[in-house]
Amino acid sequence: MSRTLEKTEARLLEKIKESLDKLNEKMEVFIELQKSEQKGGLVAGMPDLPETLDVMTLLSLPDHLRKTAIAICKLGEATADETAEHTKRARAVESGYLNQLVLMGYLKKERRGRKAYFYVEK
Amino acid sequence: MGRIIAVHSYKGGTGKTLMAINLATALVQRGKKVCLLDLDFRAPSLYAVLKADGSEYWLNDYLNGVCEIKRVLVDSTEKSGLNGGRLLLGLANPNTEAIRDMTAKDRKWEMRALGRLLALKNSLLNDMELDYIIFDTSPGLQYSSINAIVSADVVLVVTTQDTSDVLGTRRMIQELYDLFDKKAALLLNKALLSSSSFEKEMKEIAVQYEKTYNLPVLEVIPCFCDVLKAGGTFIFSKEKPDHPFTKLLEEIATKIEKS
Repeated sequence: MSRTLEKTEARLLEKIKESLDKLNEKMEVFIELQKSEQKGGLVAGMPDLPETLDVMTLLSLPDHLRKTAIAICKLGEATADETAEHTKRARAVESGYLNQLVLMGYLKKERRGRKAYFYVEK
Repeated sequence: MGRIIAVHSYKGGTGKTLMAINLATALVQRGKKVCLLDLDFRAPSLYAVLKADGSEYWLNDYLNGVCEIKRVLVDSTEKSGLNGGRLLLGLANPNTEAIRDMTAKDRKWEMRALGRLLALKNSLLNDMELDYIIFDTSPGLQYSSINAIVSADVVLVVTTQDTSDVLGTRRMIQELYDLFDKKAALLLNKALLSSSSFEKEMKEIAVQYEKTYNLPVLEVIPCFCDVLKAGGTFIFSKEKPDHPFTKLLEEIATKIEKS
């Protein structure tokens, strides 16, 4: 009896964690959106106008975003966790930068199951 | 896992191709499996020195997404008269039309080309278990050379004592290699030595240039008339194994292997 209860609890906790993760990512996008609005209109017409992430663009990006963008170029596609492993920075930090690059139109984001993958659209 | 070395310079005519070929040769003769790629699509030159034939595809085709990299590579070990390891060549198409085509590519194409260069790490170093890929790049700051630099693990910058070369190289280090966090080292080529105590003077020049560029100087190579006279018609270090130029190239290979 208690084992079934434990299982139900575990499942419940898992679901809560999943929802929190999703919420967290939405919050990050929200924060980035606000930041770009403050800077004056990064957002306008952005996601439907994909930008080209070539080397000249890489050179023009600020240092912190360049590192993340190069990591995705090298990895092909990656989650925030995988990117963080590559850049040796914190996952939350990378997640913020990745979402910012998505907003800027340089990266694409695709959700598969519980994970979000970031990649350059070829 | 093997490494990708990009041989680059600010100006043309510094000796990139000479260094790339002779470094590849030195590594092959030490038993290494080396792939030498001509990424100077505006002025292809490896084909002239190594006279490789037998491949149905050029590197241009690989970057255009027409074929896999294996279809481009030619095993030139035997033809080049080398022993020990293996020398694979990937050549740039020297036809005028191909050069024109490569200079007219758009940003999207350059982005895909970067992806294909980055993929070589997997296909050549992982799958084919090569020890080194050497990129002979085009000079200066243009798409093909920057793509090569981003894809490489180490950049060997060939520079001379020419003032415009020094100034340009210094800017390039600050505004390109540093921004991409690239590990780089210098090869000072065609050094003009005045005294009879060559070794001492070469050391002094190395110290001076390390200060100028804030990068390690891997080697100072004096200007050798014999090398110029050869005019790139053969692999110098293979034909003249006892020449001081060859000895210096061997030292460079040792330093690269140790690094």
